[in-house]
Amino acid sequence: MSGDNTTVIEGRNLKTHFEGRNGLISAMLGGKSETVHALDGVDLHIDKKEIVGIVGESGCGKSTLGMTLARMYEPTSGQILFGQQDITNLHGSKLKSYRGSAQIIFQDPYSSLNPRLTVEQIIREPLNIHRIGNETEKAARVAEVLNRVQMPPETYLHRFPSNLSGGQRQRVAIARALVLRPELIVADEPVSMLDVSIQAGILELLNQLSKELDLAVLYISHDIATVGYICDRVAVMYLGRIVEQGSSDDVMHSPLHPYSDRLMAAVPSIDATASRERVHLSGEVPSPTNIPAGCRFAARCPAATALCHTVEPELYEARPDHKVRCHLYLPEDRDLRPDLERPKAHPFA
Amino acid sequence: MSIEFETLRGTLEKKPPVRLQVQDLCVTYKSARGPMKAISGVSFDVEPGSNFGLVGESGCGKSTVVKSLMRLLPASATTSGKVLLDGNDVLAMNRQQLSRVRWAQIALITQSAMNSLDPVFTVGDQIVESIRAHADVKHAVAWARAEELFAMVGLPPERLKEFPHQFSGGMRQRAVIAMAFSLNAGLLLADEPTTALDPIMQDQIMSRIRDIQKRLHRSMVLVTHDIAVVSETCERVAIMYAGRIVETGPTHDVLNKAYHPYTMGLQNAFPKVVAKGEKKPPLISISGGVPDLANPPAGCQFAPRCPFATAQCRAEEPMLRTAGNSLVACHHMERATEFRRAALKAETWRVEETLQ
Repeated sequence: MSGDNTTVIEGRNLKTHFEGRNGLISAMLGGKSETVHALDGVDLHIDKKEIVGIVGESGCGKSTLGMTLARMYEPTSGQILFGQQDITNLHGSKLKSYRGSAQIIFQDPYSSLNPRLTVEQIIREPLNIHRIGNETEKAARVAEVLNRVQMPPETYLHRFPSNLSGGQRQRVAIARALVLRPELIVADEPVSMLDVSIQAGILELLNQLSKELDLAVLYISHDIATVGYICDRVAVMYLGRIVEQGSSDDVMHSPLHPYSDRLMAAVPSIDATASRERVHLSGEVPSPTNIPAGCRFAARCPAATALCHTVEPELYEARPDHKVRCHLYLPEDRDLRPDLERPKAHPFA
Repeated sequence: MSIEFETLRGTLEKKPPVRLQVQDLCVTYKSARGPMKAISGVSFDVEPGSNFGLVGESGCGKSTVVKSLMRLLPASATTSGKVLLDGNDVLAMNRQQLSRVRWAQIALITQSAMNSLDPVFTVGDQIVESIRAHADVKHAVAWARAEELFAMVGLPPERLKEFPHQFSGGMRQRAVIAMAFSLNAGLLLADEPTTALDPIMQDQIMSRIRDIQKRLHRSMVLVTHDIAVVSETCERVAIMYAGRIVETGPTHDVLNKAYHPYTMGLQNAFPKVVAKGEKKPPLISISGGVPDLANPPAGCQFAPRCPFATAQCRAEEPMLRTAGNSLVACHHMERATEFRRAALKAETWRVEETLQ
């Protein structure tokens, strides 16, 4: 995929680990602090005009992935390619200039906008920081992005965030992200704080902007129904790794991994006549400080065998453009440990 | 001890489900900008042993309704109307009567379970305390009941000895649910009980609540913004807007044959998961925002956002009237069939946007 000029960003075997805090006494006794393996080997690429969804439970590393791609975090290992450029370890002014091309939209528009600045000042701030344009050009750019998010500048330019509704605030946050003309947008739960009646408008806007401005969008959400609406491709994460990846239609309607299967089955249906199979998944997600050997989902998977508890499966292309990290789908000839018992059948099929 | 425990269980299981009747409930908050009418004339009945859904967006007053049922509103709120629990008015009770009713007859699960447990006591001690406040039993008996409740929500009994911070978010929420069931109250108020949780945990907890409600034949008021959860859980539903009920009836009728344009708009905006290959209906948002309750518009509160509003809507407030199996507050509900067809088109709702 690299070298292909439509790929905007690509992460290769990305790992982002955090050092845990250690108490004074334990440090004096020579205790080691724990390492949190938030992101633990992820490969992902996003093309122009493409929206890729990341779903998974809290703590699975989906936000860390977004923050790492936007280089708010420096990855512990792995490589990030932005077009042809390696941006894995950029610092100083080069990092600043990269951040101009990779913008983030945060979850909570009530805390991501400075309440003391007007809409105009909020959107102009990135231009000041990156020293782009003179006064006339700045004013023109601010007006342009406000029009893009369907907020007429003449009405909203001089308002404060406190005079805006949640949906309007999120539109201002999107305008601020667009003003530097980025190529990548990381949208981290952009509609989860908004009411149902307005979230539709924000989703539609993101979709439209991605197509009109050639944007690559990483859409992070735990609301699977919204992912189905705007994403071209979806990756399911579990404990720092992608366990399934494919077109949103395939992943949502024919999930292969037992975990994705449960995740999709957990979405309540508005049509009460359609009987939905109840989800039962025992146990909790293991701690990211102490990752078990073998498949990370094995402890909660009813079909897990000795092989699953020993060898971690690779992300294997089980169907065309549909990858899954599960021993169920790995062909016999690629099995590295034929001495161990393999899982027989899909546990929830 | 085991005899005492059996006696406790016996009395708890014999508790009948409660009939709740809310009649013309009004709540007004004092604010710096003058009185804010948070709830205006809300009435509904919850039949014993049934689940009632209260749906609406933030600020529509659904949580205020729940708080007034438990008399948990701040002193700045004035309440009128009647909240009848098997005929006894909660709003007219004195402190002593009220503390006998709370938790024993009405139990509450709030949205943020993280904050409803005391960090300095073990979870077990907190459940035991709530049981012993209402039932005259020894500590060991109440502890045995707590173990039973933990098993019911799928938590291992040894974790009763742990403190809230040792629990994950999902486990704390389950502990709060266990606590709400501790005295087998006849009426459960669940205010967004699973909103803060991950999808798999959400579904597991909702199906657990449904199972317990069904098995023990309890009544429940479920407050949520998620119409899919209501559709799977509640027999009847009320849609709230700006402190009023705009449509209420059997869930199936309200969600499949809406008479109020707001209900239609809410359904259009709700993301659905369709079968493979089937075309997704477009997501359509309702432009504009909820009215300012300190300075409400004349006429129908939804009129400024309604694509079908007429001069009459902007002048006169509609009353709830019968339509099919539902009650609907819309001047033009006779035209509902025509509205339903038009409401499915994005253009219908876009017209309003240019006017805003």
